[in-house]
Amino acid sequence: MIAAPAIQTSSLSKYYGRTSAVQNLDLVVEANRITGFLGRNGAGKSTTIKMLLGLIRPTGGDGTILGRQITNPELNRQARAHIAYVAEDKPLYRYLTVAQTVRFAAAFYRDWRCDVAGKLLREYELPLNRRVKALSKGMRTKLALLLALARKPELLILDEPTEGLDPVMIEHLMQTIVARAAEGTAVFFSSHQIAEVERVADQVCILDRGCLVLDRSLDSLRESFRRVDMVFPVDVVEREFQLPGVERIRANRRQMSVLTSANAEGVIERARAFNAVSLEVAPVGLRDVFLAMVNGLESAIGKEN
Amino acid sequence: MLCYRAWVETRWRFLICLTVMLLPSVLYFHELGIFPMQHWTSDPHYAYGLLFGTHLPSIGIWTFAAVFLGLGGLLRERAVGTSTLTLTLPVSRAHVVGTRVGVGASETVALALAPWIVNSSISLFERTPFSRAQAGWCVLLLVGGGLVYFACAVLVSSVVEGEYTAAALMFALVYGIGYLADHVSGFSALNLYPLMSGTRYLDRNTNLFPGPMPWLGILASSSASALMLLAAVTITRRRDF
Repeated sequence: MIAAPAIQTSSLSKYYGRTSAVQNLDLVVEANRITGFLGRNGAGKSTTIKMLLGLIRPTGGDGTILGRQITNPELNRQARAHIAYVAEDKPLYRYLTVAQTVRFAAAFYRDWRCDVAGKLLREYELPLNRRVKALSKGMRTKLALLLALARKPELLILDEPTEGLDPVMIEHLMQTIVARAAEGTAVFFSSHQIAEVERVADQVCILDRGCLVLDRSLDSLRESFRRVDMVFPVDVVEREFQLPGVERIRANRRQMSVLTSANAEGVIERARAFNAVSLEVAPVGLRDVFLAMVNGLESAIGKEN
Repeated sequence: MLCYRAWVETRWRFLICLTVMLLPSVLYFHELGIFPMQHWTSDPHYAYGLLFGTHLPSIGIWTFAAVFLGLGGLLRERAVGTSTLTLTLPVSRAHVVGTRVGVGASETVALALAPWIVNSSISLFERTPFSRAQAGWCVLLLVGGGLVYFACAVLVSSVVEGEYTAAALMFALVYGIGYLADHVSGFSALNLYPLMSGTRYLDRNTNLFPGPMPWLGILASSSASALMLLAAVTITRRRDF
């Protein structure tokens, strides 16, 4: 039996006046997988997450989270009982102590695991009687993560979870994310740290200016994306290489660089037809794909030229 | 747990207001010491007058406290960055607002009761006359007539963003309405002081409330409070955070 998607949206949109934050987003986040959610600042990642959790109302479209309609407040509330969420700014009540914060969170969730909470408190070396306002930024991030990781939710949503953490904690968190996915938790996390996403994610979604520009499994992305660098004896126009599977083209007189998500062979064939004097095909990493998707191909290959 | 959080969030405000609310009772205790015991037994109504005298200054203090305790809520949380944490808990927004209102209203009622509990204890200790009915009426008039200030603060906090903007606006509103009621004809109905103090219903000879009491005024004020609180819940439910 195929598990229902943890998150599914259909034409989900959010407009602030005439400005669009998210446009016609059709997103599917599968259960039992780690899905990386990438995008530049202001791309609409946090807005999407807030719509999923019922914090803001979509202007158009709808969606489900753990099978419950996101725009229905009661169903969304029911879904939130099975979702652990760490927000980008790691919000915590400043006037509570660490112990009070942990007790507060534990009271709301049936999936709270006291043993895990105790273990994480020791590992993170959080001072129980210190008020949140007296904690360092790193400590606050650890506490916010603890509130999510001490549970066994069906869906774990992390918005920039590694911000403010030291490398040891980042490593610990990455291992925890993988372990949680292995236990059956769907993980949906946004990050600017592409290397982290590339390391743990099964699926990658890239959002740019509110639109979903990529939704692929990381394996298929690695297999299918290629960069083809070509040099020609005469100037060649971009139009000639606008073939199926070509995502971005950057042309500079006789030089051309093409990023393909499929059909690299077609591009090579076309290059040969134009008597390319140099032809180089290379696999690309997630970083290159991300930069190409959100900022045009020049950013992805700018360093090399 | 939401109740506990609301209490922790407001407890310092409450304790400060409680301290100030008890000041008239301290004066009452001081007054008792001035006159000999014979004075009280020969004229108990003087004692009732003195007790009623503690009620009048507490109106202004209680009004300030009701506004102070009504401020806050999810918009202020958004300003300080914690609304995301609250709203992603598996509870409805109505529950969040309702809990805050419940704790705040309980605190305001406790503030109205506290001076009379202290006055009653002092009277018991000093063996001076004390009317429970008079105390009950004073509390009822204060809360029934004045809870509208608390409800208004909750509503303003649900509409106006910013950490201190709602507080500034609310206090400006209280003074503005007070000024209009006192100085502009046609606005006198907005003056809640006669209702909350009960001075119009007091027998000047006995310093007790003989009745009838202003049930209509209390009902109108309570209805306005309920409408404002309902509006606050509705606005919060529809708002983006």
